[in-house]
Amino acid sequence: MLSNLLSNYRTVAGLAFVVLAVVLVEFFEVRASIYPSLLPFFEWLKYSSWIGYLGITYGSVYATIQAGHLISMAIIGGTVLVTDLRLLGVLLKDIPSETITKGTHQCFKYSLMVAIATGIFCAAGVADKVYYMPVFWIKMLALLTGSGFMFFIKQPLLNSRPHHEIDPWTLRILAAASIFIWFTVAATGRWIGFS
Amino acid sequence: MLVSGYYSWNWLEATHVLTLMISIGSLFIIDFRMLGWVLPDVSATAIADRLHKPMIIGFVIMFITGILLVYAKPVENVQSLWFRIKMILLVMAFINAWVFNSRMKAADGTWDSARVAPKGLRTGAIISLCLWCGVIAMGRFIPYDWVDCPKVSNTALLWASGCVEQLNAL
Repeated sequence: MLSNLLSNYRTVAGLAFVVLAVVLVEFFEVRASIYPSLLPFFEWLKYSSWIGYLGITYGSVYATIQAGHLISMAIIGGTVLVTDLRLLGVLLKDIPSETITKGTHQCFKYSLMVAIATGIFCAAGVADKVYYMPVFWIKMLALLTGSGFMFFIKQPLLNSRPHHEIDPWTLRILAAASIFIWFTVAATGRWIGFS
Repeated sequence: MLVSGYYSWNWLEATHVLTLMISIGSLFIIDFRMLGWVLPDVSATAIADRLHKPMIIGFVIMFITGILLVYAKPVENVQSLWFRIKMILLVMAFINAWVFNSRMKAADGTWDSARVAPKGLRTGAIISLCLWCGVIAMGRFIPYDWVDCPKVSNTALLWASGCVEQLNAL
């Protein structure tokens, strides 16, 4: 029975295992022990890498890339809201949710790539500061969870069968979880600026 | 009170920025649809019509929080070159939105299910994308003070940046 259950929900079980492992790592303070070894990388990122150099030297370039990061996050927000509010039955009710899901995913992927690329640049300029910020690590965890959730749970499930064959509550929970995760990513990102 | 309260300022600014995801997010989806980049199989006017409400809700929250942010630091904002450019771009973006909306309503509906909108609407969508990207960038630039009035000699830049003392001294 267990092997049958695992074969049906292999991806979900895999991701649940990763999340559990992250929680355990945090709970038993394993991260705290590997944490100091990451500091040299963050220092290299700021003082020795070319993106760190660009960020420190040219304030205008840094601010422009920050704006690009904001724009890509706005597009991620737009695609997530359109897809998830459709799954919740709030928006675009007369258009099949399969069409909305497929039609916005490409745009989501490109925006995520831009957000990650610009985000690395933004972090590089202040790497020695963000390293010490708990909110930065929460954002990284939320980003990892959001990406894993999107590519290994949400999309495979939504593409696996017509949506009317999926339990409506599963769809609603999926959409609500997605909105919550991506809101957390954006909100913690904004909070880095205040820390 | 808004500035001195750590959480009041942060919540206000965070709300202003996070509402981008609703307002600009919805607006960009409409513009991208006109260009055929997203949801090409869905009627363009249906997308524009259905996303209109969340977009307006997002913009209303953004304007309220934006006005409060300016109210909290009026001199810093009004004297900022970037804030002034942002306001000009905002006005241009709204004029463009109005023209775009009028053109969309006036256009013959046969294009509605085509992958891309007619040239006029596509141009409007590109202008909208550029203007709003400009608005976001200028908003991001406001905290930076790159224009150092005593070092500026250009009269137009002095005027645009609100360098009153240097202008009077000329």
